[in-house]
Amino acid sequence: MIQRLLPFFTLIALFVILSVASPSFLTGTNLSSVVRQTAVINIMALGMTVVIIAGGIDLSVGSILALAGLLGAMAMVQGSIVLGVIIGLAIGAACGLANGVMTTALRINPFIVTLGTMGIYRGLALIVSKGLPVHEIPPAFSYLAEGNLLGVPFVLWVLLVCAFAVHMILEHTRLGRYAFSIGSNPAAALYSGVPVAFHTSAVYALAGLLTGLAGMIEASRLMTGQPTSGQGYELTAIAAVVIGGGSLRGGEGSVLGTLVGAFIMGLLANGSDLLGTNPYWQQVIIGAVIILAVAFDELRKRRK
Amino acid sequence: MLQLQNIQKRFGGVAALRGANLSVNAGEVHLLMGENGAGKSTLMKIVAGMLPRDSGEFLWRGGSVHFRNPGEAAAQGIAMVHQESLLAPHLTVAENIFLGREPGPGFGLVHRGRMRERAAHIIEEHRFPLQADWRVDKLSPAGRQMVEICRAIQQGSSLLIFDEPTSSLSPVESEEVFRIVRSLRARNMGVIYITHRMDEMRAVGDRITILRDGEAVHSGPLSDISTDDLIHHMVGRELSAVYTRTPIPPGEELLAVEHLAREPVLHDISFSVRAGEIVGLAGLIGAGRSELCRALFGIDPVDRGTIRAGGQLLRVRSPRDAIRVGMVLIPEDRQRTGLATDLPVRHNLTISALNVVSRFGFLNHAADRAAAAELTARLRIRSESPEQKAGRLSGGNQQKVAIAKWLLARSRIFLFDEPARGIDVAAKLEVFQTIEELARGGAAILMVSSEIGELIQMADRILVMRHGQIAAELPGNTSPETIMRYAAVKSSMAAAGERAG
Repeated sequence: MIQRLLPFFTLIALFVILSVASPSFLTGTNLSSVVRQTAVINIMALGMTVVIIAGGIDLSVGSILALAGLLGAMAMVQGSIVLGVIIGLAIGAACGLANGVMTTALRINPFIVTLGTMGIYRGLALIVSKGLPVHEIPPAFSYLAEGNLLGVPFVLWVLLVCAFAVHMILEHTRLGRYAFSIGSNPAAALYSGVPVAFHTSAVYALAGLLTGLAGMIEASRLMTGQPTSGQGYELTAIAAVVIGGGSLRGGEGSVLGTLVGAFIMGLLANGSDLLGTNPYWQQVIIGAVIILAVAFDELRKRRK
Repeated sequence: MLQLQNIQKRFGGVAALRGANLSVNAGEVHLLMGENGAGKSTLMKIVAGMLPRDSGEFLWRGGSVHFRNPGEAAAQGIAMVHQESLLAPHLTVAENIFLGREPGPGFGLVHRGRMRERAAHIIEEHRFPLQADWRVDKLSPAGRQMVEICRAIQQGSSLLIFDEPTSSLSPVESEEVFRIVRSLRARNMGVIYITHRMDEMRAVGDRITILRDGEAVHSGPLSDISTDDLIHHMVGRELSAVYTRTPIPPGEELLAVEHLAREPVLHDISFSVRAGEIVGLAGLIGAGRSELCRALFGIDPVDRGTIRAGGQLLRVRSPRDAIRVGMVLIPEDRQRTGLATDLPVRHNLTISALNVVSRFGFLNHAADRAAAAELTARLRIRSESPEQKAGRLSGGNQQKVAIAKWLLARSRIFLFDEPARGIDVAAKLEVFQTIEELARGGAAILMVSSEIGELIQMADRILVMRHGQIAAELPGNTSPETIMRYAAVKSSMAAAGERAG
């Protein structure tokens, strides 16, 4: 049990250490900026959690983020903010659904499918925008990423709502139960009469939807629709899930774990900024944390 | 040659072995028997160097030993033939026999010719039906075991451990294994042989040690102990070796199959099963019994023929189509297809009927727990809690979970593929009792088994499959010899037999 809580303790320890080491850490401004910086990864990682629990993987989320953000921004310029957000979410969900349908209908390994769509979605974003960012976003849209509600960043509320929703899906719906079942043993799920193809597709669509939302937040943060945004985010999102106890073999993972994993990486980045660590070292540290987290998890399982 | 005294081993709070004794002589086949969970596998893992012991004396050829890994045990001449083989499937027989100790001039170079030659020599000496350059993934389970045996011989082993070697073999293949075991004994090697099957132990064993709850409760020559005494030692109470059931008059026809074909494994299969009836399905491995179950359940597509469930024509394209009309499969391989072993027992129990415990896609956890509790009580599933991982249950209890999950969905046609494989005597009787209760409750049952004795005990009628066809339909009280004749004999003779019968 103690080892299962290890990521949680790590997060608290990191928090305490940074509070002592840097006077500017435990300030409203800094903590808000940590939340704002990690919200995008956090929300993507929530979707990735469900995909990984169902035994899948989605390498295309970084590209979905860019395509959804870009098309959402374009719709905003042409129409309205509401239309833009709807378009962004719809594009995200559609891209995710396409991933799911391809893995189930063509029976191709999701790693390969999403490796392909990672290129396709990114390419589409570049084609549509001719490689140029979209700038004329209505100023009010910046509220999504930069605004405050009840004294805390608005994105924190968005994140909490998403986390609660995904937690509900995992623990209290058929979709969640089926996701665990498919990820834990796909053959047994099929033999048990679980509608495997439908629910696998649904899981990828959900991840796409959340990534579409993350794309809109990213667009609001930058106040541009960037066809090149989100590169490498897929790996950070996967890392957050894995640090939080998710297993790439499927059948394991939790919302709380993923949030903790994402915040551990967020604090590491923030901490090294505050302490003036060489940014190149950040990558080394985060890489080491990923390996350590999984090593401890494997050790715990083998001990049992 | 091998002497174990008072071996103890604990896993966390659970004592797996609490005083196990075993002594094996050169040139004898020593049977190791006991229910699942009695500690047989743990003891053998200690002997083969896969686990350290907590305490006790381990004497090998007169000296005390402490193996830290299987390699050390192998170097001292102790090898294990695994049920699920640990071979490299893409390599050849010869490459597998010499894996890790390839002959060659050094520097990591391999002398392929010499390796093949030496492998062929071992194969010939023991008359294994193998070729040195066959690829291992093309071999049957029996063939793979033979490769493992060759490997052990090549390593110069003098003690070989067989863990249920025949559990996935046909009778003919099993005979081949017995022959090999006897030939190893004739070469003055020691053999430890784990089995659950009463019929085969008399065929190969010399002496026997029985474990119960981690202790050796009996040891001695096999000829001195009756089968009833043996079972008594294993379970610690009186238990009949034979399950006797009272057939009930069958009701309406629930499952009717006509001219079903799936090339090249099933040809022109026609049969029916009525409510309250248990129909046995006999045949050799590869005769198409599991393939028939899989086709009926919608796992494999069929080419031709009709399936009727309760009179209604059925098109099965996936298991869901079969489940919808109440036809379910309890598959042969629990770990791979029957259960999600890493998920809680409760999740496994209700996964097939989540709509019963949910509304608009939302789960009702109280109903879910209640349903799981009811099924657990009904089938007497022994688990620490409904949240325990299914994979941590004993084989018999896993099988009960695999059956129980279909009861919530009100299934009425049950296809059992080897329901008693790999589970101990007591659990087997409970599983049979469950099957009988289902039949009594009006279900139609098709039961595949490779143990003809089981079918004779359970079935009202027995269908014998051979080469993808139903070779004969026999009454339940047919003699094993007759069933074997239809299952194994060449077509012309069977045809003659059918005419005569």
